Amino acid sequence: MSQVVAITLNTFRETIRDRVLTVIVLFALVMIVGGLWLGSISLEQQGRMMKDFGLVSVTAFGVVVAAFIAATLVRKEVEKRTVFVLFSKPVSRGAFIVGKFLGLAATLAVVIGGMGAFLFVMTLLVGGGASGMLLAATALIYLQVLVLTAVVVFFSTITSAILSSMLGLGVFVAGQLSHNVLSLSRIGADVATEAVSWVVFVVIPNFNSVDVKAAAVGEKAVDWAEIALWGGYLVAYMVVALGAAALVMRRKEF
Amino acid sequence: MHGAANSSGMGARSSSDIAIDLCDLRKTVTVGFRRRHVDILRGVDLSVRKGDVFGLIGPNGAGKTTTIKVALGLMRPTSGVVSLGVCGLGEVGYLPENPYFYDYLSGREFLVFCGRLFGLGPEQRRARADDLLDGVGLKASASVHLRKYSKGMLQRIGIAQALINDPRLLLLDEPMTGLDPIGRLEVKRLIQRLHSEGRTVLFNSHVLADVGELCTRIAIMKAGRIAWAGTVDEALALSPQGLEAFFMHVVESEA
Repeated sequence: MSQVVAITLNTFRETIRDRVLTVIVLFALVMIVGGLWLGSISLEQQGRMMKDFGLVSVTAFGVVVAAFIAATLVRKEVEKRTVFVLFSKPVSRGAFIVGKFLGLAATLAVVIGGMGAFLFVMTLLVGGGASGMLLAATALIYLQVLVLTAVVVFFSTITSAILSSMLGLGVFVAGQLSHNVLSLSRIGADVATEAVSWVVFVVIPNFNSVDVKAAAVGEKAVDWAEIALWGGYLVAYMVVALGAAALVMRRKEF
Repeated sequence: MHGAANSSGMGARSSSDIAIDLCDLRKTVTVGFRRRHVDILRGVDLSVRKGDVFGLIGPNGAGKTTTIKVALGLMRPTSGVVSLGVCGLGEVGYLPENPYFYDYLSGREFLVFCGRLFGLGPEQRRARADDLLDGVGLKASASVHLRKYSKGMLQRIGIAQALINDPRLLLLDEPMTGLDPIGRLEVKRLIQRLHSEGRTVLFNSHVLADVGELCTRIAIMKAGRIAWAGTVDEALALSPQGLEAFFMHVVESEA
């Protein structure tokens, strides 16, 4: 357990001190403020635009941080040979993967939490109807980004950093669309197409299922029971992805 | 000439005296697009007694680093048996060759991190880190980020991290590399101190003078095998011209 804590804290320190992260976060905050300007040119819709543009910015920058930083977490340890220091000590490969993931998860909590809080305050200031839904939407964005992080960490154990990032982004986009693909395949009434769509629907994490941005902006009702169910599915997906990454690491030699 | 000592360099021994026992260790890797098989270790038999300072020497590519990595579990042997006479990696310290550490950490942060990996408590790891920083002459640079350390300083912090858990067995891969004469002298004194404390040290080196000065036993590796093993005195008895001449003879004549 102390090994997981040590690696988590070290990874948090590594990622939070990364200048790339600072640049990304500053850019995200500028984008959220940019929502103010967009709101000012859309009559009576300033708060709505602010929330809409802000949540999309939080998602986009959270995904960028997850895809590009998660891809280098494991690979950097291997390429710079710091794994020699870790694995010559009583550190299991599983503890290493979990620690790296939790460290980045902590950084993402700071980044996404910070961006969400900033958006909340900005929305409050412009009288745009800041509510608990805005915070709930941010929390669910965090869940999606965590799943993406786990997926990218898994890819990074089997391929290069850049390919891991690209595959991760591909999975994220596909996960936004898999729900629609399944619905479309049902219209065609072709059994084979529907079966393939089902496989894609199950294999690719269904990020769209916990996306409540539209509800946060329009203050529409949300079926929380369904969200909880899909949230459980995404957590299970995350555990499986990390388990697979740990299994791959166990087979590696340095 | 080579029959003077047995393959492991050991006389009669009991298993409780053994710090490292490698038995017919083989390692084959596949390389290149055509997945060509290359034998890195071809039946290494090696025993290191507890309390020995053991020098593993040999030309580049002989398999010294691979032997240490297999002993530590960083690589899996294709066949053969590795036995460590300590209670797991918790009692082992390791310095990798040309070490690279987390450059965003200061020297103290890095040692505290390593202490945490061994499950040391907060006070214990801080005290141990400070002691070791003092011991390797890095007290003044304790708060400096490792990215600003020179090669010699990195080697010293590497030695410090290998000692953070107060190990019974130390595996040092080229511990003198990158050190200036003062640094080399300090590492030599450190190894002598560890020996006097009854710890076992196995190290690789190309500097035969250091090996001759420090080691109680040596093994010469060539092409993935132990070509000769024994004490330094045995080597010198076989080659009055010195250790270097003996090393050259073994490396050039062994099939």
